[in-house]
Amino acid sequence: MKIIVDYDRCEANAICMKVCPEVFEVRDDDNLYLSTETPDESLRAKVMEAVRRCPRQAISVKD
Amino acid sequence: MQLSDVDLYNAENWVEGVPHEAFRLLREQAPVFWQEVPEADGKGFYAITKYEDLVAISKDPSTYSSWRGSTMIRDLPKEDLENTRTIMLNMDPPQHSKYRKLVSQGFTPRMTAALEPKIRKTTAEILDRVTPLGQCDFVRDIAAELPLIVIAELVGVPLEDRHKVFEWSNKLIGFDDPEFGNTEEVGKLAAAEIWMYANQLAEQRRKDPRDDLVSVLMMGEVDGEKLSEVDFDSFFLLLAVAGNETTRNLISGGMRALLEHPAEWKRLKDDPSLLNPAVEEMLRWVSPVNHFRRTVTRDTELRGQKLREGDKVVIWYPSANRDEDVFPNPMHFDVGRTPNNHVAFGIGEHFCLGANLARLEIRAIFDEVIRRMPDLEFAGPVRRLRSNFINGIKEMPVRFTPSPAVAA
Ligand code: HEM
Ligand code: SF4
Repeated sequence: MKIIVDYDRCEANAICMKVCPEVFEVRDDDNLYLSTETPDESLRAKVMEAVRRCPRQAISVKD
Repeated sequence: MQLSDVDLYNAENWVEGVPHEAFRLLREQAPVFWQEVPEADGKGFYAITKYEDLVAISKDPSTYSSWRGSTMIRDLPKEDLENTRTIMLNMDPPQHSKYRKLVSQGFTPRMTAALEPKIRKTTAEILDRVTPLGQCDFVRDIAAELPLIVIAELVGVPLEDRHKVFEWSNKLIGFDDPEFGNTEEVGKLAAAEIWMYANQLAEQRRKDPRDDLVSVLMMGEVDGEKLSEVDFDSFFLLLAVAGNETTRNLISGGMRALLEHPAEWKRLKDDPSLLNPAVEEMLRWVSPVNHFRRTVTRDTELRGQKLREGDKVVIWYPSANRDEDVFPNPMHFDVGRTPNNHVAFGIGEHFCLGANLARLEIRAIFDEVIRRMPDLEFAGPVRRLRSNFINGIKEMPVRFTPSPAVAA
């Protein structure tokens, strides 16, 4: 599983971080950071929830 | 109630409250429901009432356009339609994406957080003016003030002008309510006045930039392009409307919900750590914006219903927010509800730009009200706005034990 963020669409509102803090982190500089682009399979459900919940459709996942 | 009794368009059916019974029926029996509209206002539309459909439509602007027929139900004459397209709310990608990128610079978490001290201070001052009185109109004296001042602050409207902007925005939104001037002419005039005002303001900031949003927008660029004068005036108009009525009505409607659910009101007062989920529940419950429209750009299908290019679909936020498939016990107001993935701010391409700012304002108000007016109660009838677009309250008399002002 590989996470791709479209930083042109991301507005750093940190909704993904609330869903899956293991992977997504919005820092004080108003930017989104990924702790890893290829998280463990055990996080798949949470990551997919973040994909769905991101209001800006900025996250996608490649298998 | 039967399907043949449903009329979502007639503002008369919204006077007593949001027609939740009709929505429940539609979700159950006709989630893509054909709604006629009086001929003078144009074609009928498909009413979309399920959460899942609202989300899918909002996330698919290439099939469901905000640009083709604007986002209002009523079909507009060509010239008016073209005017509305200068507002980002009524744009599609890629044009919309460009604007969004530019103006969202003014609404990042950091920009929003920077406004917090000012919002807290303003809120304390607003309460100071009413707590000694023991009674007030919650709408005019409390809910209306903060959003106005915040927008004024955001765009740099001098304090002495803010009631002008207040009056214009009332006239713009309330065109279905006789009290605010029921003609479209009044609305158009108000828009023109806001427009002219914005123009002057932009002119001043171009000459004399400051650190407010106006100046940021005047200086900002996307792909080497700056906002034009028309763009700026439109954005100002959008903020004056989108950021004002919505937040005001959430605050009034949220207070009303708490007073009508005394056990929940008490629960929140006893445990202020519930403030965040309570705010989300107020958003779900009140859903200040009732609907937006999209126009279908190519033949498609939704839940087995064929949609043709040019058809109108109207997505209903209060209905999605009480969808039984998403929210357990949706007709129950629960200040501790988690999870609560409501769509009061929309989702997708046009997801509310001011969502975090609005949350900050709402939290600030209720934080103060809980502490300083814990025995607040109704002191007269609640009067609602007659509108199928905004879930609004015009007047809500309340009383409470007087207490002295606290700010210096
Ligand atoms: C409780 C308060 C609010 C509610 C319920 C609300 C609701 C909404 C909704 C549902 C949309 C989506 C429109 C669509 O999909 O066509 C929207 C868009 C928008 N809102 Fe809000 N809003 C609120 C407060 C604010 C505030 C405080 C501001 C600004 C200061 C604001 C600025 C905007 C703007 C600029 C858009 C258009 C975004 C775009 O077209 O990309 N809103 N709002
Ligand atoms: S939820 Fe979407 S827009 Fe928000 S920070 Fe995450 S990726 Fe960015």
